[in-house]
Amino acid sequence: GAASGASNSQSRNAILVSRRQQGNPVLKFIRNVRWTFDDIVPDYVLGQSSCALYLSIRYHLLHPDYLYFRIRELQKNFRLRVVLCYVDVEDVIKPLHEVTKTALLHDCSLLCAWSLEECARYLETIKMYENKPADNIQERTDQDYLSRLTSALTSVRHINKTDVVTLGSTFGSMASVMSASMEDLARCPGIGERKVKRLYDAFHEPFRRTS
Amino acid sequence: MLNFQEEIVSELVQENALAVVAAGLGLPSILAALVRLHSSSSGVLFLLSVPDDLRRGLRDELQAQDIGAEQPVEINTQFTAAERAEMYSKGGAFLVTSRILVVDMLNERVPFHKVAGIIVNNSHRMTETCAEAFIVRLYRSKNKAGYVRGISDQARGLTSGFMKMERVMKSLLVKKLNLWPRFHLSIATALEESPPDVVDIRVPLTPSMLAIQNAILEVMDACLKELRKTNKVDVEDLTVENGLFKSFDEIVRMQLDPIWHTIGRKTKRLVADLKTLRKLAEYLIRYDAVTFLKYLDTVRASEGVKSVWVFAGPAHRIFELAKRRVYQIVRTDGEQVESLVKQASPAVSKGKAQSKNKRRREQEEEEADAKVSGKGVELEVVAEEMPKWKVYKEILEEIQQEIQSRPADLPEDSWKSEARVLVACKDERTAWQLQRFILKGPEELMREEWNNYLLAKAELHGMTLRDKKKSRSKPQAQPQSAHGLVEQTALLAACAEVVALNKMEESSEAGTSGKRCKGKGKRKKRPDNTEQQVSEEPVIPLQNTGATDMSLENVGASSLVPPVQYYALESDQYRILDTTGPSYVIVYDPDMKFVREMEVFKAKHPQRRLKVYFLFYEESTEGKKFEASIQRETTAFETLIRQKASMIIPVDQTLDVPSPQAPSSVSSRKAGGRKNMEKHMQIVVDMREFSSSLPCVLHQQGMRILPVTLEVGDYVLSPEICVERKSIADLYASFSSGRLYHQAETMTRYYRLPVLLIEFSQDKSFSLQSANEVGDDIVPANIVSKMSLLVLHFPRLRIVWSRSLHATAELFATLKANQDEPDAERAMRVGVPTEDGLIEGDVRAENYNTTAVEMLRRLPGVTDANYRTIMDGCKSLAELSIMPFEQLAELMGGQRPARMLRDFLDAKFPTL
Repeated sequence: GAASGASNSQSRNAILVSRRQQGNPVLKFIRNVRWTFDDIVPDYVLGQSSCALYLSIRYHLLHPDYLYFRIRELQKNFRLRVVLCYVDVEDVIKPLHEVTKTALLHDCSLLCAWSLEECARYLETIKMYENKPADNIQERTDQDYLSRLTSALTSVRHINKTDVVTLGSTFGSMASVMSASMEDLARCPGIGERKVKRLYDAFHEPFRRTS
Repeated sequence: MLNFQEEIVSELVQENALAVVAAGLGLPSILAALVRLHSSSSGVLFLLSVPDDLRRGLRDELQAQDIGAEQPVEINTQFTAAERAEMYSKGGAFLVTSRILVVDMLNERVPFHKVAGIIVNNSHRMTETCAEAFIVRLYRSKNKAGYVRGISDQARGLTSGFMKMERVMKSLLVKKLNLWPRFHLSIATALEESPPDVVDIRVPLTPSMLAIQNAILEVMDACLKELRKTNKVDVEDLTVENGLFKSFDEIVRMQLDPIWHTIGRKTKRLVADLKTLRKLAEYLIRYDAVTFLKYLDTVRASEGVKSVWVFAGPAHRIFELAKRRVYQIVRTDGEQVESLVKQASPAVSKGKAQSKNKRRREQEEEEADAKVSGKGVELEVVAEEMPKWKVYKEILEEIQQEIQSRPADLPEDSWKSEARVLVACKDERTAWQLQRFILKGPEELMREEWNNYLLAKAELHGMTLRDKKKSRSKPQAQPQSAHGLVEQTALLAACAEVVALNKMEESSEAGTSGKRCKGKGKRKKRPDNTEQQVSEEPVIPLQNTGATDMSLENVGASSLVPPVQYYALESDQYRILDTTGPSYVIVYDPDMKFVREMEVFKAKHPQRRLKVYFLFYEESTEGKKFEASIQRETTAFETLIRQKASMIIPVDQTLDVPSPQAPSSVSSRKAGGRKNMEKHMQIVVDMREFSSSLPCVLHQQGMRILPVTLEVGDYVLSPEICVERKSIADLYASFSSGRLYHQAETMTRYYRLPVLLIEFSQDKSFSLQSANEVGDDIVPANIVSKMSLLVLHFPRLRIVWSRSLHATAELFATLKANQDEPDAERAMRVGVPTEDGLIEGDVRAENYNTTAVEMLRRLPGVTDANYRTIMDGCKSLAELSIMPFEQLAELMGGQRPARMLRDFLDAKFPTL
């Protein structure tokens, strides 16, 4: 009981690899997560409800129907079905078009990678991030003041980080920057005519131009 | 109009062509003549890519040529679609943005048979798939008789890139190329008949300026060497000389662009550093010593840690020398505290320098101790003047003498009215400073700049102390060396003095201007007082017009210098010479285009006197840049002339018009565009997408484009398929802003097949990152991690990796194959909140100040849920900045977000 429990939890923390993948050089690059061969339908099982099929474009050129048949075997057991496509040819447009079409119309998420390392990294990361919240790609709220100021002011075209510091240290606060006069903006070193105009317009032109 | 200008016009009118004219030869006159040749009775004339300043020039020129001339109508966001259609139907000349016109053409609001012609300015910017090319093609497909004329005054823009000139001509569907270089016979003759008197004055740089310039060039050279080592760029173009030009960025970018996403961080950093250094070289000459130091401080603070160059030996020299132009630390016994400059000099070998350094540090620590106790060292203000100032004043005095001893043959009145002086300088800032210089003299001016510098320092320091008390968690950056400490203390002592002085002044005038508070800790928190904080010098109001009147009678200065009008070259007023009519021009900052404008002005008025003074800094980057800019244009024209001779234009260039359309489109044309009869595919496209090339390419593929404003997605291919397009740069940016997450969320909510289209550029490499960026570990910041999170959280999101625009277009066609056509009306309503009564019109995108909205949405506390209500209750960001907390809480639907926003807006900018 204990032993099987351990192996169970072990396999829960590892990527399951189909025996079909034996000899795939990608396996050599999976280093951050453990992996183990298993009898599974997809090429890789990356979590409770995630799986991946591996396809190199070169292989696809030799066997154009392969991907379709593999996807058909997958049934609906997985929420996330990744087609991991190794881009290993130069003339990529036509084969990639076919792969994209097949993946898209059969409910798979296509991920492209340009090296074996990158392929391995995708497999590892999806496994590692299985239960990770999306914070990292969501709008962050815990930023420091300067980053926020930079983020806000650089929405004006051509305003760079140095300009942000100039504006901040000249006017003392965001509110003062926003209500600065054109002359005062123009007196900041590095803020040329055009930047002055862009900044001033952003602050003073109404949000809605009509009404 | 001058003869050659008329020639340019008449050649353009004879046959559809692309005219390339040398810079500064009177573009507004040429455009005005073309507009005058058009009358509303002959239909519609569209003028494309005419920027604001040129529009102004065109209007003034039209009026000057013929007071009664019909002015072109500006089509902007104020008009509804219906109003625009109405205006087009009446005929006339229209200045219109390409994005609006594409949409109007696609929505059949333009009466094609009534369009007499199209003029595309800035033609050098065209590509086969840009909006202007799209317009030309749409026009030609419906109207074969009208004219298309291209104009450009940027010859260099047509020689960069592969077959650029041919491609521009193809985009315009014209077969003829008219070249008008400055050395064209009729132009040269006209301009050289009675040229202005020119006085060239070479002003030497001060030794410290020269040393700083050399140090900058040295660091640049070091950066370039590093860049060469990466083996990613062609070595030949990478010289320091080239590095001084803005176009250098172009050269590097053009080489690196195809592999930009695969090159390492260090290489990117080097490219950015070179840009910073180029700016420093420019600002060294443009800004006074104190302002330059202030800028350097800012640069160091904002990018110090990341930059490679800041740590180079000569970089240290730049900082030290820049300081020494402003102040020096001296012992009270008069001996100068040795600065670090010498250590950093390359002559000293590294090991030696280090051991020396160590010894010195110990020594300095002692000194510092002495200093901390408040003795021994003080600040001596140097505040070096700009060498050009003195010369500038001498010229003005010379002119004044000349004016006073007017030529005998001229009556006094006419001489006085004619003897006007125009000073052309780079920007408003320079103009403003020159004004103050003349008014107050150099010492006073520099003292003011220096005091401002100290006040800013004092302000920051005051904050440091307060911050420390509040939060111990954030350690402040300490000056690294003891020497720095000595200096810092001395500086702060000077600051304290200035602050004290300022307070005294204030209290003495407290009765009249009590609100003016300057200095630490005295500022009120209310944001509506903030405008007082900065401009404590209410000198002469500067209008944004670029030219500023400074009549000295008004300010009561001596009559040693004549009244002067300033012109900021950056403001690009095309007719400044015509409106001011000067007899003397002082070119404080040399500029090729302005030189040409003076030549043209003189040629137009051969009888007038025109004396021109050029001020160059000797041995500086400025003179080199000026000469090279002329050389570059000449070379570009020579290249174009050669290319023109060997150019092969297909005979049927104008005929192969909407060729790629599917055969089915023939029947659709007969059907007159009625929807139900259409057999060929249609795609709903968001209005904002028309700044990209994809809609144009889709149209080339024979698809019908329905432009509307979409709240969700960029392209709707069918009732089920919605696509969000991201270029690689967008992809990275929208991952970090969180926008992509939000977009994926809404697309997934409303469509069965939400698609993220990752669009690679055809001429750039096809990969997301370079091999060395992949790394060995799972790093949250890596793009692989972000993509993985995206698919994990949106397993239904489909991802398309497209190699090129054409690949995208083909894929869209494939995906649509077995799907119903999308419904534009429905697509528009998707995701639009209806409860708040916001019914989105089809010109919504045009009706927003998009930059302001974007900035608003990036402010803390502002969310997708409340930004609309904020915009309802508040007109602009400026208004928002002074809105009290209670009102914000009401608009933002809660105390918490309002508190976040108010706190952010009022937060004191921290010391760096």
